[in-house]
Amino acid sequence: MESSDVWTEKYRPKKFEDVVGQEEILKRVKSLVNSINIPHLLFAGPAGTGKSTLALIIVRQLFGESWRENYLELNASDERGIDVVRQKVKDFARTKAIGNVPFKVIFLDEADALTREAQQALRRTMENYTSTCRFILSCNYSSKILDPIQSRCVVFRFQLLDKKDIKRRIEYIAQNEGLTITPDAFDAVYEASEGDCRRVINFLQATASISPNITPDLVNTIVSKAKPADIKVVLDYALSGDFQGSREKLLSIMLKDSVSGQDIIKSIQKEVWNLPIDNELKVKLTEKTGEAEFRMVEGSDEFIQLEALLASFVLAGQGGVKDLASK
Amino acid sequence: MINQENIPWSEKYRAARFSEIKGQELVIDKLKTFLRSFPAKKAVILHGPPGVGKTSMAYAIAAEYDAEIIEMNASDLRNKEKISEVIGPASQQRSLFKKFKIILIDEVDGISTRDRGGLTELLGLIEKSSFPLIITGNDIWQQKFNLLRQKSELLALKEMDYKTVLSILKEICIKENLSVMNDVLTSIAIKARGDMRAALNDLQSLSKMDEKTFVKEIGDRNKEVSIFNALQFIFKNAQIDTKMTNVYEEVNMDVDEIFLWIEENIPYEYKGRELYKAMDALSRADVFRGRIHRQQHWRFLVYENFFLGSGIAAAKKYNRTGWTNYKKPSRILKIWLNNQRMAKKKSICEKYAKVAHLSIKGAMKDFLLIKQILANPKIREEIKLDEEETEFLDKPTIA
Repeated sequence: MESSDVWTEKYRPKKFEDVVGQEEILKRVKSLVNSINIPHLLFAGPAGTGKSTLALIIVRQLFGESWRENYLELNASDERGIDVVRQKVKDFARTKAIGNVPFKVIFLDEADALTREAQQALRRTMENYTSTCRFILSCNYSSKILDPIQSRCVVFRFQLLDKKDIKRRIEYIAQNEGLTITPDAFDAVYEASEGDCRRVINFLQATASISPNITPDLVNTIVSKAKPADIKVVLDYALSGDFQGSREKLLSIMLKDSVSGQDIIKSIQKEVWNLPIDNELKVKLTEKTGEAEFRMVEGSDEFIQLEALLASFVLAGQGGVKDLASK
Repeated sequence: MINQENIPWSEKYRAARFSEIKGQELVIDKLKTFLRSFPAKKAVILHGPPGVGKTSMAYAIAAEYDAEIIEMNASDLRNKEKISEVIGPASQQRSLFKKFKIILIDEVDGISTRDRGGLTELLGLIEKSSFPLIITGNDIWQQKFNLLRQKSELLALKEMDYKTVLSILKEICIKENLSVMNDVLTSIAIKARGDMRAALNDLQSLSKMDEKTFVKEIGDRNKEVSIFNALQFIFKNAQIDTKMTNVYEEVNMDVDEIFLWIEENIPYEYKGRELYKAMDALSRADVFRGRIHRQQHWRFLVYENFFLGSGIAAAKKYNRTGWTNYKKPSRILKIWLNNQRMAKKKSICEKYAKVAHLSIKGAMKDFLLIKQILANPKIREEIKLDEEETEFLDKPTIA
């Protein structure tokens, strides 16, 4: 059960000594764990920097073999509302911890996905169960966590891992799995992952599933496969006058990659400046994009607003600049 | 050249002779009396709701007396040459050998008083004309027609009763070689509320479907019959009137569904600048819809309906003719299909996320990468994918 074929799990550090980077945090957490009585913890930092890993190491250190019985992992972004979280906490905290540690540990991942109200409720819950439970909260930005919660936690700020630290880990995995990876290929993997160690390992495994000889070309194939579809092609359709083609493409992108209308309008706004059209038109289309975003907030059907925006791209493509100016 | 396929049946099967006009015998008789006593009164106004056969009646009587129809619209009334052609020299006696003429002023409602005296010209024409005038109109009781009414004989045409509509529909089914179930025809006839044109449009739209869709559609028929009429009305007319704002009220469909129908069909009617304007109107209607939802301020419904009707109609300058076979909205179906696919994707991500200490959302976001990792059968087994999920991953067309 402990060993997994999913590499992010197989190569997830199990002991403090295995962890790369985050030296300061490790030192302090280690001393807290050795004293047995840990406070609530708040781990803040970008994805793939070791927050979940450290939480898992802590419970392994505290509970040894019986860590599973004393550990509850919740993800705030997946749970349906704070009430579900509270109920789960309640059920879990009802029984006493097994072994000689006087508390159980609850890891609440992505706690910054909770609304302010939900966080208020969470604060109460943390207080109510403080005799039997310790919370480890994780988030990307500590600023999104209410002050009263922060003040009840010891806060640790995780930094992006150094490239050389990630490289060390990758070389270790490659050796273990019998892979060859060129320095260029590693660079490509690293670039595509934006310093997220989980993604680095996922890219490595995805690439290795095709061939054990990992080359930059192979990595790029995977990268381009994994990239969400581009909004540019939607705009190209529109500018060429094909309204129906562009709206169909837009719908399929939104559905396939579950992209919200708000995200689409953001990419359109960025993409306008790269379009092969003259500056005056760029200004007008940006204004139209802003108007569409505004109406999206006011209106009820995001897709209709996006379609209306595409219709102005169609008109722009046919040289109807003047028409766009008049409202 | 006009494709025979695209001729609206309401034109193709327009009654050409009195014998073909059904349910208006009294009016026909009065019309004949009017012509016989000409020029006691020089003009007759045939008035009544749309689609009851006003224009058909004018053409039928011309055919009956072997007369030539000269159709004139508002702009012709200001055209001096055209006017003098129909008036003829005042001294000239009507020759027995020369073909008799009837002047038709169709849809007099369209003549506006601001139209630099279109109406005044018409009154002048009645004065001078040596031929009888037949004028058709819907609402003849408007103030601006006071003088016109005094100078003309008024003949009201009633709405056709549904049995008459039904019998005509049946005849056309035979001519078009269509087999349509009787109760479908009856429901079209009732829905039309005496408007023969609307009934024919419905029948034509129904005939465009292949057999399979046809059978499936019958259940939805009542609904679609009226949405087709509403779309036709909005998309084909350029002139805004108050009816446009209420047109969707008669559609037995909730407003969200109407939005989808309009959205789907706008690009089939409008291109370029018109498309832009029509989409803009739809977008504004949606903004008011959102405001109503959020603020529960139902007064905004007026604006929502305005943009949905008149706003979209006004995207074009001129009336449209021809036939458009409107399509059923496809977006909801696509979303539904996608949700079905998504459900599989989500259940896979849920299983993976549990093993990888990751949120389901996080797994969904990186699904394309994870899918590649899940090519490994050992991992599929480890996260306990079921048969359907495995099949989903192996299908070549997925996400």
